[in-house]
Amino acid sequence: MTVIDTPAAPTPSKKPAKRIGARVRAQRKEAIALVIPALLPIIVFSAIPLISGVALGFTDATLARNAETNFVGLDNFVALGGDTRFWGSFGIGLVWAGSVAGLTLISAMGLALLLNSDLKLKSLTRILALIPWAMPPVVIAIVWRMIYNPNSGPLNGTLEFFGIPGVNWLGDFSTALPAVIVVGVWSGIPQTTVLLLAGMQSIAPEQHEAAAVDGAGAVRRFWHVTLPALRPVIIAVTALDFIWQFNSFGLIYVLTEGGPGGQTMIPPLFTYLEAFRNREIGYASAMGNVLVLAILVILSVYLVNQFRQNRKVRA
Amino acid sequence: MKRFRGIGAIALAGVAALALAGCQQGSASGGGGEGDGPITLEFQSLSDQPTTQAAVKEIVDQWNTDNPDVQVSIVQGGWDGAYDKLITQFTGGTAPDIIHFEASSIVSFAQDGYLADLNDLVAPDLKSDISQGIWDSVTQDGKIIAYPSTLQSYMVFANADLLAQAGVEVPSGDSMTWDQFEEIAKATTTPEHYGVGWGLKSPTATVMSMALGFDGGFFEGGGADASIDVGDGELAVPGRIHDMAYADKSIDPTSLTQSGSDVLASFYGGKVAMTVQGSFQATNMAKDAPEGLNWVALPPIAGTAGAVQAANPQTYSINVDSPHVQESADFLNFFMSGDNLAKIAYADALIPSSGEARAAVEKLAGDDQAWKQVLASGEGLEGPPFLKVSKYQEWKDTVATPALQQYLADQISKDQLATQLTDGWADVNG
Repeated sequence: MTVIDTPAAPTPSKKPAKRIGARVRAQRKEAIALVIPALLPIIVFSAIPLISGVALGFTDATLARNAETNFVGLDNFVALGGDTRFWGSFGIGLVWAGSVAGLTLISAMGLALLLNSDLKLKSLTRILALIPWAMPPVVIAIVWRMIYNPNSGPLNGTLEFFGIPGVNWLGDFSTALPAVIVVGVWSGIPQTTVLLLAGMQSIAPEQHEAAAVDGAGAVRRFWHVTLPALRPVIIAVTALDFIWQFNSFGLIYVLTEGGPGGQTMIPPLFTYLEAFRNREIGYASAMGNVLVLAILVILSVYLVNQFRQNRKVRA
Repeated sequence: MKRFRGIGAIALAGVAALALAGCQQGSASGGGGEGDGPITLEFQSLSDQPTTQAAVKEIVDQWNTDNPDVQVSIVQGGWDGAYDKLITQFTGGTAPDIIHFEASSIVSFAQDGYLADLNDLVAPDLKSDISQGIWDSVTQDGKIIAYPSTLQSYMVFANADLLAQAGVEVPSGDSMTWDQFEEIAKATTTPEHYGVGWGLKSPTATVMSMALGFDGGFFEGGGADASIDVGDGELAVPGRIHDMAYADKSIDPTSLTQSGSDVLASFYGGKVAMTVQGSFQATNMAKDAPEGLNWVALPPIAGTAGAVQAANPQTYSINVDSPHVQESADFLNFFMSGDNLAKIAYADALIPSSGEARAAVEKLAGDDQAWKQVLASGEGLEGPPFLKVSKYQEWKDTVATPALQQYLADQISKDQLATQLTDGWADVNG
């Protein structure tokens, strides 16, 4: 739409305005005609489902045959407020998304620094680092379920080789969530690494040289040159990781199905159960709405905080 | 400007209409039933063992040869995720005509009005040949919602060599008490292997079924008014499993978090002396067990109320929106006839619902030791109270399964388990 606005801006006097106006109108028509084909799929496949999903949250819709759907106002949200199981799941979701986003950033930073340094076979290692990205979440989950298998998995096999008793990784209450988080981090690293690597390569080498001449070691150069330059990338990547992980479904569904005893029941799984096991699609949509709002709130707090700091730095 | 908006709106409406039309395609019985040509019935079968698939195909081929006007095409599905698949199919209007599932899970589709009432469609001979108790398990609000086909019981399979090594005789009698089972488990537990591997990743079905052996019915009444009562009888089975795992240390606690087939691998590998499995695993063992593994089926486990387990039959239902309900019922009457049902039950190592089929299976089974026990365990199958309860499925998935998982992982006490099960029901049904 910005394309349309720009030529409309210079309208100094009334008389020429009409002439230019005709041209502008023609240009607008052209622009609209060009935009509509691109916009249609977005409206049909994104906007309409999104709006109907939000609207469902205010109804008592179920999946029954020819079910009557009534508008129930905020009833679903009131009921949700007192639903301790949902909020328990919400807490697990925050732990999951927060730790995956945080740990992914740390590991990806290490990997990106490694790939950015002048190693031999640089192109090969860069391609290798991307492999988890090329795997669908379900495949990743199945592979890791095999790795974690308490009886025949290679992880326990290695531990037992060194005389350490094996652990029932995905079945034990204390290890299930950490084990799942490790898989989340593993699958998230490549994407974050690539973005951080791109950010690092955009830092002018002169800055590093200057710092080195001033006597800064590798650690100080990382802390005072690389990190500040990467800051916008880090903020964007972590925020995106957090949203993606908070909404991730396939990985945990295949790994644990929310078990054992609900230890890994993240909100999307919980919502899925409500929608398709209990067939309460209205209530489940209300949960979805709450999740979207929660993510918006968490992110806005984070972003506002960042902007404020940026302004302070500039001032 | 206006004109363009109009064009945009028309284009939008066109795309939306196209998308909606796309969704409509492929609804029940996709093969055109309007014309004079033969009609095609879609039959979604979940039988996933190769021998059973072959048996189902044989029966369907026979029908297709005999009835050129009504052709049946098999849509092969699997038990994993079957519920999710069906709910999507029903909601999207693409469910097949004939639906294979099991009684406790199909109930919710009946409640939502998706299944045809079969009261007047079931062949009279077949109706009288299946016990009323089994018909009750597929009756919802006076409507018969499915043909009950085969039933599963939980059985103990043992590694006879490991039992002999521990100096334990393979029990013979008609049934084996829980105390006997616990003693054998203790006797066969050694530093190298556990007495029992029990795949209880999804513990609810097993617990609800075996609790009947202690008169543990869990629910009173039916429909939306059902009430729950978790007492000694209900807690006996989880309590005994828990004590075997953590007091006797005769059940491998890892196995309690695994699926039945995962534990079967440990059993094959000689890491456990016994394993509790659905009777259908007898087929897999006959096929897959490593050479030299000397396995036997033990007599059914009996509680204080006898060797009673829940009758939760596999079912064949008809989609109420199918344009060919009558034809589908004709096919199912043929499919369920004595010899055909016997073929399927025999291939699956399950107990057939009708008397005629049971007689035929007994003949097929001959002197086979495992089959003798499968059929013996079939004697104690009773219609369980939970099949009458509207919100059972919801309670099972969101309350009972996590609570039992916690108890069997030794995370909560028996009292906490009882409280969670009871309060959870109030939440779900409230």
